[in-house]
Amino acid sequence: MTDLKLPHEHHRHEHVAGPAEASWILSTLERDQLVVEKNAPVPRRRLRGAELLLLWALRIYLLFMLAVVFWQAWTATH
Amino acid sequence: MQPGQERSVATPGDVLVTHEDLDRAFDRARVSAARHRRGFSSRVWLLWLLIGPGILVMLGENDGPSMLSYAATGAKFGVGFFVPFVILTFAMALVVQEMTVRLGAATHRGHAELIFERFGPFWGWFSMIDLTIGNFLTLITEFIAIRAGLGFFGIPPWAAVLIALAILYFALLSHRYWTWERVTLAAAAFNLIFIPVALMAHPSWSAVGHALVTWKPLPPLSKDTVLIILSDIGATVTPWMLFFQQSATVDKGLTTRDIHFGRIDTLLGAALAAAAALGAILATAPLFAHQMSTANYEAAQFAQALEPIIGRFGAALFALGMVEAGIVASITISTSSAYAFGEVARRPHSLNLPIGEGKSFYSVLFLCAAAAAGIVLIPGLPLVFVVLVVNVVAVLAMPPALFFLYLLVNDKEIMGEVPSPRWANALAAAVVVLLTAAGVLYGVSVVAPGAFAWLGAR
Repeated sequence: MTDLKLPHEHHRHEHVAGPAEASWILSTLERDQLVVEKNAPVPRRRLRGAELLLLWALRIYLLFMLAVVFWQAWTATH
Repeated sequence: MQPGQERSVATPGDVLVTHEDLDRAFDRARVSAARHRRGFSSRVWLLWLLIGPGILVMLGENDGPSMLSYAATGAKFGVGFFVPFVILTFAMALVVQEMTVRLGAATHRGHAELIFERFGPFWGWFSMIDLTIGNFLTLITEFIAIRAGLGFFGIPPWAAVLIALAILYFALLSHRYWTWERVTLAAAAFNLIFIPVALMAHPSWSAVGHALVTWKPLPPLSKDTVLIILSDIGATVTPWMLFFQQSATVDKGLTTRDIHFGRIDTLLGAALAAAAALGAILATAPLFAHQMSTANYEAAQFAQALEPIIGRFGAALFALGMVEAGIVASITISTSSAYAFGEVARRPHSLNLPIGEGKSFYSVLFLCAAAAAGIVLIPGLPLVFVVLVVNVVAVLAMPPALFFLYLLVNDKEIMGEVPSPRWANALAAAVVVLLTAAGVLYGVSVVAPGAFAWLGAR
C-alpha cells in the first residue's frame, strides 16, 4: 500500500477509469468497499421469539407515547 | 447493470469499478500513506484525514430546536441540575454513536440498508417511517430557527430560507464527500459561537462548579421540568444521528483499522457539542437570575431578551449561532434522509457521485430541505406545535432504533472480528433504560399530572 502512486486528482473528471487505474482502485480499497460488492444482498437473519417480543413492545410503546405527545401539544396550542 | 455503474470498467478479475470507487480510493490512499509515516505531525495529519462523521453528527445535532431547548433550560432553571445533566446526555450520545462507527467500518453498509436486509422489509419500513417523520419535522424546525435568527437582523423569511438553501447547494457543488465534509465542518465550527456569548453573560463559575459536583440546585418535579428533561435528551440523542454517522462512515471509506480514530472523532464531537450546549445554557442563565421570561421558543426572542444583559453584539452572536445551528443541521439531516432513501431503494447513494449518476440521491437531499423550507413560509401553520414535539418525538423513537443497533452490532455474521464488547452492550442497555424511563415519566406527567404534585407534597 505504501508504494502506491496516486493518479493526478484532476484526471478523475476527465476519463473513465482504465484497466491500470481500476487495478490501483482494487488494491487500495477493501473488496467489500466496492460499489459492485455493496450491491450484493446481506443474508436475512431470523429474529428470535424474545427479540420479536421486545420489538413489538417497543413499537407499541412508541405508538402510545406518540399519541400522548400529539394530544398534549395539540391541547397546548389550542 | 446496476444504476450508478454506467461509467464503470471491468478489471482483469471481472470486477466493475465506478467513479465513486475511484474517489473513495483517493481518500483511502492518502490515509494509507499517512499511516505509514512516523512522527507526531503524521499522527495529527492522519487524525485530520479520519475525523469528520463524529464531529459533524454531534455538532449537527446541536441544531435549531436543540439550542432553543438549551436556551429555554438556562432561562427557566439557571445554573444547577441541568449543567451536569446535559454532559450526561452527551455521554449517552457517545456510547450509541461509537457503535455506528464500528458497524459502518465493519460492514461498509448503511444503517437503513442493514435493517432492511438483515431483518426484512417489515421492520425496515417501521424504521424508515420513524426516520422520515422525525427527519422532516426536525428539518422544519431548522428552518424556523434560521428564519428567526436571521429575522433578528431584519432579513425577511423568504430571503432567510433562500440563503440557507443556497449554502446547502454550495456544500454539494463539488460532488465529493471529502470537500462536502470539510465545508460542513467549517460551518459547524461556528456552533462554538455560544461559548463567547456565555462569557459575555459573566456566569458564576463557582455556581457552575457546585452544579457539576452536586447536581444542585435540583429543579422542582413538575410537568415543565419533565418536558425540559426530555427536550434536552432529544437535543443530544436522536435516530437520524445513527443513520447519518453510519452512512457517512461508509461513504468516507473507514475500515476496521480506523475504528480507534472514529472513536476519537466521536469523542471530540461530543466534547465540542457539549461545550456549545453549556454555552447556550450559561448565556441564557441571566434571564433566570433577572427573573426575565421568554414566553415561547422563538430564537430571536431569546436574543432580544439577552440584549440588555450582553449587549447588541452578544445578542447578534446568539442569533447567528441559531442560524448556524439550523443551517448545519439542515445539511446533515437532509443528507441522512438521502442516504437512507438510496440504501432502501437500492439507488446510488454517495456524496462522491457526479450529478448524472446520483440524480435520485441529490434530488431527495435537496427536495427534503426545500419542502421543509417551503412549509416554514406558509402563513398560519402551527409551527410552535412542531418545535414543541420534535425533541420529545426523537427521544421516544430512540429505544426501538437502539434495539436494532444493538442487534446489528452484536451480529457476529456481519461484524466479523469486531463484535460489540460487553461493556459497550451494558452501557447501551443503560441508555435504553434511561430513555424509556424518561419517556414513561413524560407520559405520567401528561396522563396523571396530579401525581407529581402528590409526590412533591410527600
